[in-house]
Amino acid sequence: MARRLIYPLYQIGNPQLRIFRPPFSLTLVRPGKEQPQDTVQFRIPMEMTKCDVRNYLEKIYNVPVGAVRTRIQYCTNKKRNHLNQKVKRPDYKVAYVQLVEEKANLRFYLPCHAVTTGSILWVQQQTFEFPDIFTEKDVKSAEGSVEEMQEKFMEDEKQRQKPDLRRGGVTEWFGL
Amino acid sequence: MAATSVGRVLTLCRQFQNAFRISTSLAVQQSALTLTKSQSYLDRLTYPLLSSNWHCHVGQYRPLHTTISRRGLEEFFDIPENWGEPTVKSGAPWTAKQLRTKSNEDLHKLWYVLLKEKNMLLTIEQESKRQRIQMPSPERLKKIERSMKRLDTVVKEREDALRLLQTGQERARPGAWRKDIFGRVYWYRFREHALPWYMNKRYKRKRFYTPLFVTPHIRLRLEKHLRAKTRIQNKEREKQTVLQEKFPQMKAQSS
Repeated sequence: MARRLIYPLYQIGNPQLRIFRPPFSLTLVRPGKEQPQDTVQFRIPMEMTKCDVRNYLEKIYNVPVGAVRTRIQYCTNKKRNHLNQKVKRPDYKVAYVQLVEEKANLRFYLPCHAVTTGSILWVQQQTFEFPDIFTEKDVKSAEGSVEEMQEKFMEDEKQRQKPDLRRGGVTEWFGL
Repeated sequence: MAATSVGRVLTLCRQFQNAFRISTSLAVQQSALTLTKSQSYLDRLTYPLLSSNWHCHVGQYRPLHTTISRRGLEEFFDIPENWGEPTVKSGAPWTAKQLRTKSNEDLHKLWYVLLKEKNMLLTIEQESKRQRIQMPSPERLKKIERSMKRLDTVVKEREDALRLLQTGQERARPGAWRKDIFGRVYWYRFREHALPWYMNKRYKRKRFYTPLFVTPHIRLRLEKHLRAKTRIQNKEREKQTVLQEKFPQMKAQSS
């Protein structure tokens, strides 16, 4: 399944192509440019289409998807390695996925989170914000252990290296 | 891998085996208990789980489905406890031997489990590249890739066996031995076309026959191949004679 896959030819009237065990993996990325609140940005393999992305997210991740827009990012072939050979950075496809609320049939009943102002029905939009994964946690080492003594020593060293505040930012180079 | 105490993280496969004891065995209560004990991957599944799902499956019937969580886009990230950790524990990859013991349904589900895990790891990798921080435990990606490859192999084996038994066909994709323009014989694999071959202009340009003027080139190529082969054989023979002279007690090595 990993090598170049050739899918059956489609002609009108053929059954819908179904892929069991899709070999495609999506990467959620933090958007480089500012995106609307409900947009999620993915890097997808080149072979996937907008419909594929929608089906993938809906079936595998149970995420209701509204609009999907894709573009192909061309990456440079200009860089050269230590042998002066041109090295190509691989291209990738980017998908911008907009999320919607699940309950789309608003005309028939009022969802609990929907608010009507006048004649227009407003529904709370799903928003997604890329989380900060690499926040450093404060690790307190056990008392009396070697790590604690080492940390204390390092802190003392740093304190010693700080300049004297009474000099008002003037360096030691200037005498007195 | 699972060298630590029982209550600690089981290997990825063991956790998963525990999870699938639900669908395969009748002792549902036992498996529910083992679920709550194991950590890591199943933590991700059970967090923030509504554990009422498990309590209703008391009794000796197989549940219709075992959807555990509906967390959507959160599944692209690790559990929040692992954010900021320099290393994350993970078990050994699945081996082909272990995978062969699983049923087709289990393999199908496992594929999606591995796929989601792979997506999560790729997301973390890309984010770490963006933030210029080292990714915690990058070996997890390799493990997942190997597991998926082995799963693929096992499924292919089963498909091959089934096809051989049912139809007698050795290959899934039909093909034929054909000669290209240079006189070389190779296995040409068929493709699906919407037209018959005699109406396909691009196919007809390919020419699966050798023109007569190529024969001298074939003779020269054959000569080159034979010369190279004899050169290797002669070199080997000379090497053996030299060794025999240096070390007379040496037994003659068979080629």
